[in-house]
Amino acid sequence: MAPAYNDGKVKTFTPRMRKKLRVLFIIILAAFVGLGIRLYLIARNNGEEYARVVLSQQEYDSKIIPYRRGDIYDRNGMILAASNKVYNVILDCSILMGKDEYLEPTLNALNSVFDLDISEVRSYIVTNPSSKYKILAKRVSYEEMLAFQDLKAESEDGDLIKGVWFEDEYVRQYPNSTLGCDIIGFTSGDNIGNFGLEQYYNSTLSGTNGREYGYLNEDSDLERTVIPAVDGYSIYSTIDINIQNTVEKYLADFNEEYKNKVNIANGAENLACIIMEVDTGNVLAMAQYPVYDLNDPRNTDALIGARQVDIDGKKTTGKPIEITSLLDANNGMVDPDAVDDTETETQEDGRDTEDQDGNASVTETGTDGEPLLVTESLYVTEDSLRLMDDDTLYQNLNSLWKNYCINATYEPGSVSKPFTVAAALDSGSITGNEYYNCEGKLKVGDHEIKCHNTYGDGYLSVAEAIERSCNVALMHISFACGKETFLKYQHAFGFGLKTNIDLAGESRTASLVYTPSTMRQTDLATNSFGQGYNCTMIQMISAFCSLINGGNYYEPHMVSRVVTSDGSTIQNIEPRVLKQTISPSVSNTIIDYCNLVVTGEYGTGKTARPAGYMIGGKTGTAETLPRGNGEYVVSFMGYAPADDPEIAIYVVVDRPNVGTWGAQADAKYATRIVRNILTDVLPYLHIYMTEPLSDKEKAELEEKNLTDTHEFAAGASSETETMEDVSLEETPEETPAPEEVHEEPDEPWRDFAIDPDTGYAVDPNTGAYVDPQTGVTIGLNENLPGGGAPLTADENDSAVGDAPDPIN
Amino acid sequence: MATNRFAVRKANEKKSRYLDINLILVVIFLLIFGLVMVYSSSSYDAFLTFDGDASYYVRKQIWATLAGLAVMILVALWPYQHLEKMAWFAYVASIVIIFLIIPFGHEANGAKRWIYIGGISVQPAEIAKAAMIVFLACIISRMGRAVSTWRGFAMVLGMVAPISVLLWAVTSNASSAIIVMAIAVIMLFVSTPDYKRYIIGAVGVLLVAAVVVIIIVTNASRSGGSAGGYRGDRILAWLDPEAYASGKAFQTLQARYAIGSGGFFGKGLGESMQKLGFIPEAQNDMIFSVICEELGLFGALALLFMFIFLLWRLKIIADNARDLFGALLVVGVMGHIAIQVILNIAVVTGTIPNTGISLPFISYGGSATLFLLAEIGLALSVARGIHVRDL
Repeated sequence: MAPAYNDGKVKTFTPRMRKKLRVLFIIILAAFVGLGIRLYLIARNNGEEYARVVLSQQEYDSKIIPYRRGDIYDRNGMILAASNKVYNVILDCSILMGKDEYLEPTLNALNSVFDLDISEVRSYIVTNPSSKYKILAKRVSYEEMLAFQDLKAESEDGDLIKGVWFEDEYVRQYPNSTLGCDIIGFTSGDNIGNFGLEQYYNSTLSGTNGREYGYLNEDSDLERTVIPAVDGYSIYSTIDINIQNTVEKYLADFNEEYKNKVNIANGAENLACIIMEVDTGNVLAMAQYPVYDLNDPRNTDALIGARQVDIDGKKTTGKPIEITSLLDANNGMVDPDAVDDTETETQEDGRDTEDQDGNASVTETGTDGEPLLVTESLYVTEDSLRLMDDDTLYQNLNSLWKNYCINATYEPGSVSKPFTVAAALDSGSITGNEYYNCEGKLKVGDHEIKCHNTYGDGYLSVAEAIERSCNVALMHISFACGKETFLKYQHAFGFGLKTNIDLAGESRTASLVYTPSTMRQTDLATNSFGQGYNCTMIQMISAFCSLINGGNYYEPHMVSRVVTSDGSTIQNIEPRVLKQTISPSVSNTIIDYCNLVVTGEYGTGKTARPAGYMIGGKTGTAETLPRGNGEYVVSFMGYAPADDPEIAIYVVVDRPNVGTWGAQADAKYATRIVRNILTDVLPYLHIYMTEPLSDKEKAELEEKNLTDTHEFAAGASSETETMEDVSLEETPEETPAPEEVHEEPDEPWRDFAIDPDTGYAVDPNTGAYVDPQTGVTIGLNENLPGGGAPLTADENDSAVGDAPDPIN
Repeated sequence: MATNRFAVRKANEKKSRYLDINLILVVIFLLIFGLVMVYSSSSYDAFLTFDGDASYYVRKQIWATLAGLAVMILVALWPYQHLEKMAWFAYVASIVIIFLIIPFGHEANGAKRWIYIGGISVQPAEIAKAAMIVFLACIISRMGRAVSTWRGFAMVLGMVAPISVLLWAVTSNASSAIIVMAIAVIMLFVSTPDYKRYIIGAVGVLLVAAVVVIIIVTNASRSGGSAGGYRGDRILAWLDPEAYASGKAFQTLQARYAIGSGGFFGKGLGESMQKLGFIPEAQNDMIFSVICEELGLFGALALLFMFIFLLWRLKIIADNARDLFGALLVVGVMGHIAIQVILNIAVVTGTIPNTGISLPFISYGGSATLFLLAEIGLALSVARGIHVRDL
């Protein structure tokens, strides 16, 4: 042993220890080398793989920034549809679990602001501690989001609230819910427009989603880039929300009145109305009943009372249907409560279940599992809803969502008579001076075609044929044209063609009209008074506008302007004249004839005239197929004012709920609606009264809170109104009140306040500048009618008595 | 430099005293490099956690480093021979300070490892390690040849074991316990002429470890999950890190991704992606993985070389120490640093199960840096005792 180990001496580090230290150092060195090799192996063997893993762990996954779908406005800028930003609450558990003290404050904050169930969230966090994306709440409002952020910023333990962030989303909202539902349409969850403007202008309203994403630059540094979303364009519709509202109100009123009258169903199978500007093709209102809530389009409550359709979308016929399996029937049911009801009922007693409404009743039931025989319901009821499977329900909703005005095709009936006459006059086939003998029926080929007045009206002029809506005279007129000319004009009027209105879902009608090769004499005869071919409402009113505006066929349209999200206009959609259908002189003649429908002694549309106004138009009563089923489509298509049409209105009442034969030859179901609508709408459009008011009418106006608008019309012209005599004789309830007219100050402008800047008088009603001396309107207010009321009165009068004398 | 002037003056007084400038330089290099890496790896986390204060950790570390350097100088100037009388004091002091954790302990990450005294947090384990080096050097040099006997050997280990057990039990810090034991073994290894018992011991330890691992694995597979408790799970995660990728093995696996993705030359200083939230507390035990990611295998090996150089300098000092006590002190310091470096890198590379061992001079941690520098001070003090002509 080395002496250094001896006690007592100064102990030193012996050579032996040095050797062992060297050994130790070599061992350490070996360990280092081993670790170095280990590092090398990791870098060599797994380097690329791990490099990829590292990159894939980075959050350069992209995040979509949603665009804002464009808004839809009415013509005055009122919002019809708007997208509003909402927020989804997202929880990142991995951040929340970063520290224990985060958990409680965060959960409490979530609970206090969003009312979330703490225990539910907690259990999710416990089971998925590494989840980075969990939607806790959808579509919370901006206010709620802000409340949470405030809590985070201001509360004591606010900085312990972690792992919650918000994701933007837009939600489509329709502030007027049902108003204009069939025009506007709705969007499904992924911002795809369904029906109406939403569908037709889907690409315009849609923008481009933005993106936030990370990428690696050339130095392999992670960079994040944001490409902002491009918002969709907004559109301004030609619709006037107030007119639309009025129209829908009166359609709903009608429904209220006739609902469940005969059938447990709506007031009519379909009720629809279009109001259009005659000289532009702008649609002012387009409405139908039933309506649905755009914010909740799948709510089946709106279906109740509607005509039911089967799984193929065809109207139900009331045939017995077999429900083969209770389970199947139950599976298809909509209402979970209903499932329970039916199940217990049928399983426990297995006996007949009586239907309260009598619409769908179980006529035969077997024991469990045996087929059930149920009579198919004609109209949708709560019970029939329960029996629908999902596909059938969808068909029914689909028929609710469809826009009757552009989608439904039907035989128009007598409203088409002015077209027949216009075709004959314009082609020179008749002069207008002809007389036709109506004996109540006409034998065409082997068929005997009746007039609605089966006793016959005797000899009728062309004007009287329109006034009284005589089928026989119209058949004669169409024969005078011949089928080639008739069909040429029918084509010119756009029947059988799409109008290309800017709404989704317009029907094709090409196969629903005749061609020269398919048309027989009887077809020509029935076509002359609107039977035997089909059209859509929009075709009818668009063509009618051309009849009464001098022959200019305007393409009907719904949108006038497209603007960007910041409000600058990028497209103005101007009215487009597509063709000249008839000459202006024929147009004037047709106006004269149609005025007679309302003013004439035997006029069929007298009940359409609103108090104080003169309008023109044509009634229609069309038999539906199969003939003789006693069901009718009644309609009135008219215009106002009578002398210089500005707006056209078309109301269709499809099979009013008045029972079989109840609506025969009675257009009053439609004319009353027209009268109600025009009474409200004409003053709104600054079209002023020209006709004297009876006491009854005055009372009615007062009740409706409407003002007598005579005084707004230019003074002098109304005094020379000669029509009042005619109307006095024809409509006894109209007691003329000439004094009232004369009560107006001769020069009302003398009372107007003088504008100090210009020196002109200001009309308090219109705001227009008026020359204080002469009363001539100087201001730019186009709403002031510039007189001109008298012109048609005399001529109308003469048109009644004599042969029509085309103006010009 | 003050140290230099002071040392030179002293050297002039007492002939030529040895100043190990190489050791000082390599330590300073490691410290500065450590600060750079602490900033690189912690700035992202600090920015997020401390409201934009990216330098939060590195500032604290700079203060600890400066304090540590001051302590190092003081210790270096103080004749280490005085310590020889303080062996039992050091022993008792470490026991007391470990027990202080119970009333004054501060819990972080589920374990009480720090005590707060006057606003300064200290890790008793770090004090205990330094104290044990002093204690062991003293005891072994006093025992002399007796330590070579089985009885002496067992007595030394028997005196260290309570400290080790205390560290494990009170601070639930297994790694510090292991390090204390390992320091003792290394110092005994150097001071005794024997090999056999160390080889037998090493094999025995490995066998026991293997058996434990096998038991844990079979238990886990039988109960179909984590049956091994806190440490058992760590062992399971070590064996199959992918299976515990989001749990226990998350840190190790992410560290290994960092090492691998760094390649041979790294992504460049400050360019680590793994420090961006993937390696938890990247400035602590896992800082070596960030070094690998940013500086690559090249940087990592360079750092290893620096450590080897440091250890080699310590070996030189020990070899030339004037007395056995001084030599053993330096051997203890060397063993301490070597073990920590090896274990740390072994953990980071997934070579052994995850246990919290910091990388000396580099990892964030005030106590560790301060007491390591005090140990370096001891080594310098021993070096000062060497007469240049002795070399």
